[in-house]
Amino acid sequence: MAQSSSASDLSPWTALLLLAPLTAVMLLILIYPLGLTVWTSLYNGRFSFDAYVELASSTLFLRVLRNTFEIAIGGTLVSLLFGYPVALHLAAQPPRKRTAYLIMVMLPFWTSILVKSFALVAVFGNQGLINQFLGFVSGGTLNVPMMFNRVGVILGMINFLLPFMILSILGSLLALDRRLILAAETMGAGPLRIFWKITLPLSLPGVLAGVLINVTLSIGMYITPALLGGRQDMMVANLVDFYTRQTLDWTAASATAVALLILSGLLVALLGKVRGSAGLAGAGA
Amino acid sequence: MNELFGSSRVARGLVSSMAWLCYIFLVVPSLIVIPISFGNPGQIEFPPRQFSLELYRQFFTDAAWWGSTVQSLIVACLTTLATLVLAVPAAYALARSRLPGRGGLQGLFMMPMLVPVIVLGLGLYLQYSNWGLLDTTAGLVLAHVMLTTPYIMVSVMSGLQHSDVALETVASIMGASRLRIFFRVVLPQLKISIAVGALFAFLMSLDEVVVAYFLTGTDTMTLPVKMYSSIRWELTPVLAAVSTLLTVLSLMIALGIIAMQGKTEASK
Repeated sequence: MAQSSSASDLSPWTALLLLAPLTAVMLLILIYPLGLTVWTSLYNGRFSFDAYVELASSTLFLRVLRNTFEIAIGGTLVSLLFGYPVALHLAAQPPRKRTAYLIMVMLPFWTSILVKSFALVAVFGNQGLINQFLGFVSGGTLNVPMMFNRVGVILGMINFLLPFMILSILGSLLALDRRLILAAETMGAGPLRIFWKITLPLSLPGVLAGVLINVTLSIGMYITPALLGGRQDMMVANLVDFYTRQTLDWTAASATAVALLILSGLLVALLGKVRGSAGLAGAGA
Repeated sequence: MNELFGSSRVARGLVSSMAWLCYIFLVVPSLIVIPISFGNPGQIEFPPRQFSLELYRQFFTDAAWWGSTVQSLIVACLTTLATLVLAVPAAYALARSRLPGRGGLQGLFMMPMLVPVIVLGLGLYLQYSNWGLLDTTAGLVLAHVMLTTPYIMVSVMSGLQHSDVALETVASIMGASRLRIFFRVVLPQLKISIAVGALFAFLMSLDEVVVAYFLTGTDTMTLPVKMYSSIRWELTPVLAAVSTLLTVLSLMIALGIIAMQGKTEASK
């Protein structure tokens, strides 16, 4: 058997033997079904791109695609709007306090998406906590529908997206050299000017990565729009399910899934350019 | 004190109030289920006006709820074990060999993390309906093994990077066999990263809903799938009891992981 260059190195045959079982499982349970999906979208008795042509002219698909972009981008913007101040607040804390706050930020990360969906209905639903309060205050006249519509989807979405946005921006803020700010202050720059000229520009890489992670994560969302949205809030993932189970049109379902796969692949590649793929841990809910 | 957004009192007040709004929004959904679960069994009520354990009694005695819980626990345990057996040796081989194409294999093992789950759900559904694996525990476990592999990989690979290669070299020079080195030198050093990866994989499998929704039927329905249809169609208060139990379990696992990671940090 060939001797490898260092005594701690495995021989190629041992390495192959150890890698073979997992590789086989991944080829069988990951690559094969992905290939089958592409195949199903292209082959229906004969080989053609008909399914994609049909999708491109289907009003349902186009509407769902527009929903998906609107919700993903809208959710990301709200998450940025609120995530940035949280990151600022965290960055300004002494380390021990910051850890305590970070536990709160990470809590939703550990909680089941179904628990959160159920809880959000209990808080924001028509008979939920907030509407009970509004009804009580207004004498029963005021009821704001915040669930089973676009607002509900965005609420559920940002509850899921915020931790990723906050951590990404926080990383940039903590890496920022505070002497720059001290210097600017000494030279007489006001707080607004310091934020605008130093803090914000230097945190932009974190913002960009956070935005891309958020869009990537939200584009494939399935549970949140299904449970917290209304009929008009169907996203691409829900359309895949609709074609699969309601209309039993596996060709259309596969073509839709392939479109989503390409879209999210592009986003992942873009994110990889901005930041190593390590930043994507936890993607794909 | 607050250099990042200056000393303006207005700016500071605005930032902390927005931050606190977010903290509340992030924490409340995970915790509000707890008081609801001990309250009125007739309807979802907060703040609860009575105390009762009725919802828990319903959960543990209802065959549909308890059955799907047991199924989820079985699937999560089998998934964790199978992923460990497959992924730990593979991670070891990736870290300690100079095989050409290692980067490609590593990419393959990390890929499930980057593909939208719905796409995997559909692909597996198409595959399993041809192969007669729909509505089987084995089929679901296989799918979960694929989904949890990247997480165990990440944890074990980082453990291997921090473990001492010199110990393996010494053992090898002293004439220990490969197998003996793996079990007596490598594995003991990886204890914590394996445990962290295993807990993470267990929790992921336990909470996984999209793929399970596509692949399971009445015989193999898991708890998340049961919860999904219950939130969608009936919104029963029993959900509060289920959610509380799940949240407590998730938090225990999270604390376990954090504590163990702290241990590795400290030992460095």
